[in-house]
Amino acid sequence: MNALLSRGHLSSEAIDLLLLAALPAPEANEAKQHLDGCDDCRARWQQLNEDKQRFEQFVFARTLPKVEARVAAAREGFFARFKLKLLIPILGVATALAVVATMGPGTQTEDDLYVGIKGAAQPTLEVFAVRGAGGVFLVTAGVTLQPKDRIGFMVNTAGAKYLMVASRDGAGVFSVYHPFGAQQSQPVGPTKTKLELPTKVELDETLGAERVVAVLSDEPVTAQQVEAALKADPKNPQLPGVRFVATEFVKVAP
Amino acid sequence: MELGVHSNERVSTLYRKFGTAIYSRCRRLLKDDALAEDATQEVFVRVLKHIESAPDDATALAWIYRISTNYCLNQIRDRSRQAEPTAPDEMPEGDNTSPEVDLLDRETAMKLIRRAPEKLQEVAMLYYVDGLEQEQVATTLGISRRTVINRLQEFIDRSKKFVSRDGVA
Repeated sequence: MNALLSRGHLSSEAIDLLLLAALPAPEANEAKQHLDGCDDCRARWQQLNEDKQRFEQFVFARTLPKVEARVAAAREGFFARFKLKLLIPILGVATALAVVATMGPGTQTEDDLYVGIKGAAQPTLEVFAVRGAGGVFLVTAGVTLQPKDRIGFMVNTAGAKYLMVASRDGAGVFSVYHPFGAQQSQPVGPTKTKLELPTKVELDETLGAERVVAVLSDEPVTAQQVEAALKADPKNPQLPGVRFVATEFVKVAP
Repeated sequence: MELGVHSNERVSTLYRKFGTAIYSRCRRLLKDDALAEDATQEVFVRVLKHIESAPDDATALAWIYRISTNYCLNQIRDRSRQAEPTAPDEMPEGDNTSPEVDLLDRETAMKLIRRAPEKLQEVAMLYYVDGLEQEQVATTLGISRRTVINRLQEFIDRSKKFVSRDGVA
């Protein structure tokens, strides 16, 4: 979307983006100039600001707990599904785990570890973990995983047709987490939103760092190819026509 | 809801950021503060996963427009099923101008949209009320521009009949 003027007036998008301070400076200036000279748009702008004031002063505080409760309820549903899925593959290999290790200069992040396909939406990989009977938590920087933790994945494939989630642990052992143990990537439906993968993995006793990658492509890729790419360059694996999105974890003893 | 995990802090931040756009839109469509407040919560929960995966604010707003429009129009339809006859002062004012001209006025467009068939409402809302171009409407709804044009034409034709029949134009 993003057209400033539409049929002589600011579009709703332009006004909303102006309020979000998300318009580039030249467009923001142009929008403000238009507001100065257009009664209709100025009235809409004033109305939006009044709504903003009302929302922030009254509605936000009053409704946030309900929103959080709704989201938490959905999270519980996620947990329940997580726990009910008994087909939890137990890895016999080191499954390092969580918390994105502090990355030094030159280390690639999820955002820059892409190969091929320019101009398309950016894929993402999120790792979630469950410890014992506790709740699910997102694996982010500073979070440390332990043996027996169970991890799951959410992936935005950004429209890719094939997906594999693989791992290379601190000992250099390669594993395919999703589809678990598969010999090649599997087809996924055409979507540009996040997918909760059914596979859940229980971490073994091996400690240390591990890199988990989502492997996205429009043609199937074999586990052997992915393993070789990770072995050749764990932080910047490359295969023709393939996108890699990575998350790095550290697993420690309880 | 497919997406399961969000920290409360993250939810709060996104709700504060995008809540105004949702609330304002719901308030304008529903014309009822209490309903708009309820709708804002519902729409935000529904749109949260899209906001989180959106590459920029414009994309997030596109989802907000689509989902809030659908939600509010459904609310309006639900209310109208149990509703009393429309009060005369809620009808478009007649001034012998064509519907196309009347539709330049967002409020008039809103009144006509409420009486349009469901498949036309969303397109007409985004085009006439939000001021999106046909191509933008097509992108937002995931349909072809040709479909947008056809639905807008159908909306205009039906609005003409509606206005003629009720003698308000």
